[in-house]
Order: sequence, then C-alpha cells, then structure tokens
Amino acid sequence: MPEPPGGPAREPDRVANPAFEIADLAVSYGPRVALRGVHLTVRRHEVTALIGPSGCGKTTFLRCLNRMNDLVPGARVSGRVDFEGEPIYAPTARPIEIRRRVGMVFQRPNPFPKSIYDNVAIAPRLAGLRRGLNELVEESLTRAALWEEVKDKLRESAFSLSGGQQQRLCIARAIAVRPEVLLMDEPASALDPVATYAIEELIGQLKRDYTIVIVTHNMQQAARISDRTAFFTVEGTDTERAGVLVEVGPTAKIFANPSERRKEDSISGRFG
Amino acid sequence: MTTLTQGRPAAGQASGPRRRAALRLLERADPVPVLLALAAVLPTVALLVLAAVMLTEAYPAIVFNGWSFLTGRTFTMGNLYGTATQVRHGFAAPAGARYGVLPFLVGTLLSSLLALAVALPVGVGAAVLLAERLPARVQAPLGVVLELLAGIPSVIFGLWGVYTFGPLLSRTVDPWVAAAGLPWLSGPVGSGQGLLTASLVLAVMVVPIIASITRELVRSVPALTKQGALALGLTGSESVRVVTMPFIRNGILAAGVLGLARALGETIAVLIISGNALNTYPHSIFAPFATMASTIAAILDGALTDSTGMALHSLAEVGLVLLGITLVTNLGGRLLAQRFAATGLPVGRGV
Repeated sequence: MPEPPGGPAREPDRVANPAFEIADLAVSYGPRVALRGVHLTVRRHEVTALIGPSGCGKTTFLRCLNRMNDLVPGARVSGRVDFEGEPIYAPTARPIEIRRRVGMVFQRPNPFPKSIYDNVAIAPRLAGLRRGLNELVEESLTRAALWEEVKDKLRESAFSLSGGQQQRLCIARAIAVRPEVLLMDEPASALDPVATYAIEELIGQLKRDYTIVIVTHNMQQAARISDRTAFFTVEGTDTERAGVLVEVGPTAKIFANPSERRKEDSISGRFG
Repeated sequence: MTTLTQGRPAAGQASGPRRRAALRLLERADPVPVLLALAAVLPTVALLVLAAVMLTEAYPAIVFNGWSFLTGRTFTMGNLYGTATQVRHGFAAPAGARYGVLPFLVGTLLSSLLALAVALPVGVGAAVLLAERLPARVQAPLGVVLELLAGIPSVIFGLWGVYTFGPLLSRTVDPWVAAAGLPWLSGPVGSGQGLLTASLVLAVMVVPIIASITRELVRSVPALTKQGALALGLTGSESVRVVTMPFIRNGILAAGVLGLARALGETIAVLIISGNALNTYPHSIFAPFATMASTIAAILDGALTDSTGMALHSLAEVGLVLLGITLVTNLGGRLLAQRFAATGLPVGRGV
C-alpha cells in the first residue's frame, strides 16, 4: 500500500485506554478504494471532528467504527479497529453488540414511523427492559434537550416534530440504549441555523458522558464543537482516488497552525 | 396524432403555406388532451355501465324474488320443460322455480376469507423475504417467478387443484385435521374437492398479488430509517417489525383488499375444485360448496333455456350481489386505510 506523501498522519503522543485505536485501516467498495492507510486514536470523552472535502472517506471511516459498512454490498474493510481494546473486525466480534455500544446519528433525521415515546423506548424494550422504561425515556429525552418540548405529546407521531426536533429525538433514541460512543454523520447538515445551534449546544453537553466522533464539512462547526480534529483529503489520480488522513491533533492547534497540506487544499479551493 | 396525420396525406405532400396551415390546424386540434381525458373517465364510465347493465338485467328478478333472494337457501330453476308458470308482482317464472342466493353468498365469503387468511401472512412474509432478507442475486429471479405466478390462467390452478393438490390434501393433511375432532374441522374428507382445497388454491392465486404489491411497498421504505434501526443494535427481523411493518401497514391493507377481490370473483378454478354443491352450506371445512361466481358459470347454460327469462334475471341478480360485495370490500378497505392513516402515521413520508 503506497503511503501518502510525507508519511501517514500519526499522533506523536500515545494515550492510555483510548476509546478507539485504528491502525492501517483501508476500505474499498468493490474495485474502488474509498479510504486507505488510516491511523487514528479516538480519546474518551472528547469530541473528535472528522473534516475534509467530499469524497475523502470521512463518512466511510465513521461507519467503520460501528460496522455499519457491513451493510453495504461489496464493502471490504482491512486493517485494525480496536474498540476498548477489542478488535471489532475480529471474526468473533458481534456487530449487533458493537452497535449497541457505539450509537449513531445520521445525516438526516430518521425517526421510526412510531410515536415519540416508542422511538426512544423501542430498542431498550426489544433488549428486554420492562421496568423503568418511562424513566429511561424521560432521561434520554432530557439529555437530548427535547423533553420540555415533547413531554405533553409523547404518544404523537415522531413525524409531527420539526426536523431539528426529529434529529434530537434520534439522539435521544441513540442515548436510550446507553452507548459509550456516539457517532454523528453531519447531524446538522439538513437543519436550519437555529436547529444547528441547538444540536451543537447539545454535543457540548453530551461529551461529558460520551465519546463523540462527528463528521462535518463545516470547518467553523468543527472549530466550535470539537476537542480534536482529524483532517481527511482525497489523494491520487482520477482513476485511483482514495481518501487519506492528512493531519490530526487538538482542534485549537490544527486551526491555529494549519499544515502546508491543508493550506494548499484551502487555497486551491478544494476545501474550507 | 399518427392517425390524424395519416388521414391527411394532402397536408403532408402540400408545400409552403398550405402545409403550414395544416400543421397549425393539427396543433389546435391536438387530440392528446382529449384522449387523455377520455382515458381518465373511461374506468368510471365502464363501472357505471356495468352496474347499470346488471341492474337492468336483474330488475325483473329483484321484483319477483323480493327479500327472499337474499335469505333463500335454495336456487332451482324449476320446470324448464313445462309450460306452467308462477307469476309474482307481474313477472313470470317457471313453476317450482326458487331463487335464493344465501348458500352461494356464504360459500363465496367463507372461501375468500379463508384464502385471504392464508395468503396475507404468506404473501407479506414472502415479500419481506424477497425485498429485504435475500441476497440481490436471488431476489431478481424469484421476483420474476412471482410475477409469472400472478399471470397464470386460473383454469390451470383449478386443474392442478383437482388433479394433484386436492387428492394430496385428502390423503395427507385432511385426515390429520379431521382426527383432531374440532367442530367444523372434522367430517368426511372426501376426495379433496371442497372448501379447504378451494380456499388453499385461491390462496395460492392470491399470494402473488399480495406479495408483488407488498414487495414494492417494502422497497419504498427509506433506507436511512432501516439503517437507523440497525445502528441501534436491532437485528434484521426486529428492524422489519419496528420500521418496515409500520411504514407499509396501510399498503398491506390495500393489497389484502385487492387479493380478497380476486378471491371473491374467482370463477373457474373454484368451479373445478369446489365440488359445486348447490343449495348446501359447507357443513365442514372439507365439504363441497359453491360460490356466486362459480354458480353463475355452472348454471348459465341451463338458465338460457328458461323461456320466462327469470333464471337469467336471477343470475344477473347474483352477479349484482357479487358486484356489490366487491365494491363494498374495496370501499371498506379504503376507509379502513384512511382511518389508519388518520390515527396512525403518515406512510411513505420519511423526514
């Protein structure tokens, strides 16, 4: 596997007990390589932002962390992804178990065609929880900063909510299964500025309890909400393009001293 | 358009201004909107004409029979060879003729509902399996088979029922069911011509209808919502329960109504395998019976020889009742779907 020029981005400092430890990750869809040579450490209780131009593989990377890429026909993942020290692509790993521990919020709100209450309660109920469901629903909705708005209409359809409320409902739904990590794939990209602000506020509160990995193509958003930033880009000729990780580090540092690579990309109008 | 231009060879060959004038005329007399409007009202017109014809043909019978048509247990055309007639409300019928539809009505409803009860879960299950669970390379060929099955002439199903399926049932399944000794599920199993065989053959005919409609419904469920379920750690079948089913509930109802309509009106297959027992109720699930549609086909020939015409009029009345039931079923299903939609959730609407 060819290394990107300047060597793969690695962080100099190792941390003890990271949430994710990713080594030499590569993903291809059929013959097309989407991502290659990614080394990254995701620290606990931090917000890690994945940024980069479209097609750089940041969403692909995110979907490796809860094995959602399994669902794409023809997807192949190589390399190593350790979650809490366990390799999640080991043959013995159980994707369903992993997805319960690593929650996900999608690009657009995707509530279930059920009531607000059921949207939050359904996964715990299916997991066998019977007692304390009401409390769990209230707690999850409160954490998702939605409780006050919906507490009087829990039996109404989730589709009766606004887009921003639906997205917070989806966050509540993810929280309700008590995950350790929340993956967010441009969670505010379909929302208006007010709803976006609400989601960003919420992310700031959630990071106390969860490790958050968030994909965004908005640099300002990454700067506002994240502790660490990983910058991806597309490399290679037109026939052989693949996403690579260029740079990773504390957000403040990344944005204060952009590396030559990223400046180039920004100046050339490819990103940012 | 084409017919019009072909109809004016002079315009095509003419040169200059005449040709342009002809084209302008063509444009103004564009037949497409008219044809579209015609096509749009045609189904309504057809339905009205059908209902009117049945009503006109049945009118003498409606007057002659009165309510006893719906409550009567016997349908007999009387003595078609004699000259004696009976007259009621100004309409004559052969002596001894009685026209009661109730056993056919019961037979129709029973066989159709039994068929639907079997076909609905099977059809929906097959559709979900086809659209969600099976790998793509199996989906396409199985889908083709499904559509082929939906297009097979019903007489073939009837023959299959009488040659193979009925005898097979009477040798294998029927004795087991009968041995349980449950009321209405016991009794002599016979040769396999009767209600159970007919209902199951009807079910086989209805399954492709329900399955192909439901398959399209399942495909219309937003992928992002399904992914949302899987991302929560739900299994595939849990995702079907939580996401797919609520999304397609109303559509399944509509598919069920369509399937039911098919079963209600099925004629030839039922005629072949029902045992065609006039004037009896199916006393057990194995008993021979008759439906409204099969009876019309079975005795139409004899009815044509009735010089008073009342047998034909009465068969028209049977057809009218069948038409009424089909319409009520469709409208009822529609209303039910609307009520679901009003109290439940919008269907097919993602974000």
